Amino acid sequence: MKTVVIDPITRLEGHGKISIFLNNQGNVENAYLQIPELRGFERFCQGRRAEDMPQITSRICGVCPVAHHFASTKALDDAFNVDPPSAAKKLRELMYCGYIIYDHILHFYYLGGPDFVVGPDAPPDKRNILGVIEKAGIEIGKDVIRHRAYGQRITAILGGKATHPVCGLPGGVSKTLNREEVKEIEKMIKSCVEFAKFSLKLFDDVVLKNKDYVDLILSDPYTLKTYNMGLVDENNKVNFYDGKIRVTDPEGKEYIKFDVKDYYKNIAEHVEEWSYIKFPYLKSIGWKGFKDGKDSGIYRVGPLGRLNAAEGMATPLADKEYKRMYETLGGRPVNSTLAFHWARLIELLYVSERAMELIKDPEITSQHVRNPVGEPDEGFGVVEASRGTLIHHYKLTKDGLIEKANLIVATTNNAGAINMSVKNAAKGLIKNGKINDGLLNMVEMAFRAYDPCFACATHTLPGGMPMEINIYDHEKKLYKTLKQNM
Amino acid sequence: MKTIVVGVGNPILQDDGVGIYVAKQLKKHVQDPDIVIEEAFTGGMNLLDLILGYDKAIIIDAVKSEKKQKNEVRRFTLNDFSTGIHSCNPHDISLVEAIHLAKKLGETRIPQEIVVIGILIDRISQVFGEKLSEKTASLVPKAVDMVVDEIRKGG
Repeated sequence: MKTVVIDPITRLEGHGKISIFLNNQGNVENAYLQIPELRGFERFCQGRRAEDMPQITSRICGVCPVAHHFASTKALDDAFNVDPPSAAKKLRELMYCGYIIYDHILHFYYLGGPDFVVGPDAPPDKRNILGVIEKAGIEIGKDVIRHRAYGQRITAILGGKATHPVCGLPGGVSKTLNREEVKEIEKMIKSCVEFAKFSLKLFDDVVLKNKDYVDLILSDPYTLKTYNMGLVDENNKVNFYDGKIRVTDPEGKEYIKFDVKDYYKNIAEHVEEWSYIKFPYLKSIGWKGFKDGKDSGIYRVGPLGRLNAAEGMATPLADKEYKRMYETLGGRPVNSTLAFHWARLIELLYVSERAMELIKDPEITSQHVRNPVGEPDEGFGVVEASRGTLIHHYKLTKDGLIEKANLIVATTNNAGAINMSVKNAAKGLIKNGKINDGLLNMVEMAFRAYDPCFACATHTLPGGMPMEINIYDHEKKLYKTLKQNM
Repeated sequence: MKTIVVGVGNPILQDDGVGIYVAKQLKKHVQDPDIVIEEAFTGGMNLLDLILGYDKAIIIDAVKSEKKQKNEVRRFTLNDFSTGIHSCNPHDISLVEAIHLAKKLGETRIPQEIVVIGILIDRISQVFGEKLSEKTASLVPKAVDMVVDEIRKGG
């Protein structure tokens, strides 16, 4: 038989390409993660009808279509000067919960979890969902698939279409819920609450009861003391769909809280010549290079960023788990990168509980789901994508066409921190020119915790992400190349 | 025999969206209640969800080869993909892995036959755009013909 050698069919070119530079003692001087970035989006949008933006932006990336859809829809509410009816907001938030449910389940069980459940030292061909099932059992595998599908189903019912929603309109939504749909959703959510509880228990049994894992979580290479950012409600509890952007300092104190319309007063972007991606930082503190600590403007977003930037969860069971995490890991904030996984599961429980509150709300079947729009001008929209704060900002012409569009996407917010985490992990494993065998694995664990969605493909059969690490000596000559899954 | 034809790609990423173009063309050519034609902007698990329950699945997608090859249209089966096909992002598993997983969990609705009609393209754009390059656009009719042949083969 003829063998055809083909690169994985990729949506987008590129992969996590990492360059490590050593000093003349053979220790890590610098490390860079190169992230390919899609270009030309602003120009692509110019002159389009504003109401098409929720559909267009949800195509930017296959990872978080729902997050883009609603950041965009919310920016349109603002741009068309309309406040949606409360039932529409609840329907949007319920759908958003469905998205976080499937996204977080996917990450924990398929992508991040295998590192723990199968073990960080296991060979890459075991560190995947199949390895998890081998270890945890077929029944759990079926539960994983089922609940991920529930999340998808909830977004499909509310969004009008699987994966890429079409329901968001300026001033509301296009689709209401009938009683049968409510019944179906309620049944699925009930099961999701139980599954989230089970997942936290699994994390307890597999990770927290293993001293080696806890030591790894708390170890220096996986610790970063940065600022944290996330959306909070009026009680400073985590919120995915709405609220103010809150930033806490590396000691956990509130540093600043602002409306999304003030984002450009508070966030600036630093440019490095080696990367297309821009590195956001807190404007009032300034860019101080790839450093952590109070004097550096770098911040983290995503599950751990959100929990650190808040003071609790708005639902009872998740709040209990929130407190337990901080008690176990030594108080708020937790600066351990690998605790992102734990935070993700606490959020899974929160969105399941929150979805239950919403589906039981009598208003959820209301037919009043849209308000008439006003005159177009400028609009800002923010949501918490599962991997962090996502901002859309549009300027409209008086005819309702896009004049200017700017997006700050979740992974970009984490770009500085991811880079530092990669460097820290490398530092621990390269000593005097000697490269530890676990380098690829530990570096991969460092950036996977953030669940980055950079424009690259991962064809994960078998195991982890395709990755290439180039190590250069102090004269910048290539010293060694390590590859995985390429 | 129930067959699903899925054009896969991102319609706002130039040549990457060629599968979508082919599916759109096919909708004009094929009118058979046993043949379902879909457009999908997704891969991995979601793509599997879409094809479950059919006897045969024909997936149309842009393919980029590591070696320099001339642009053409080729037929593949899943065995041709050594590392897996299509997870469009770092947050999903590939279709091959998704199928492997589904089999392991006792899924019985996986199509008997899965064929990929691959349109070999030069490069995958990192700049947004809705137009196909001239080269890629010229391959669309060939791809349409091959899918039609593939449907006929299925009886």
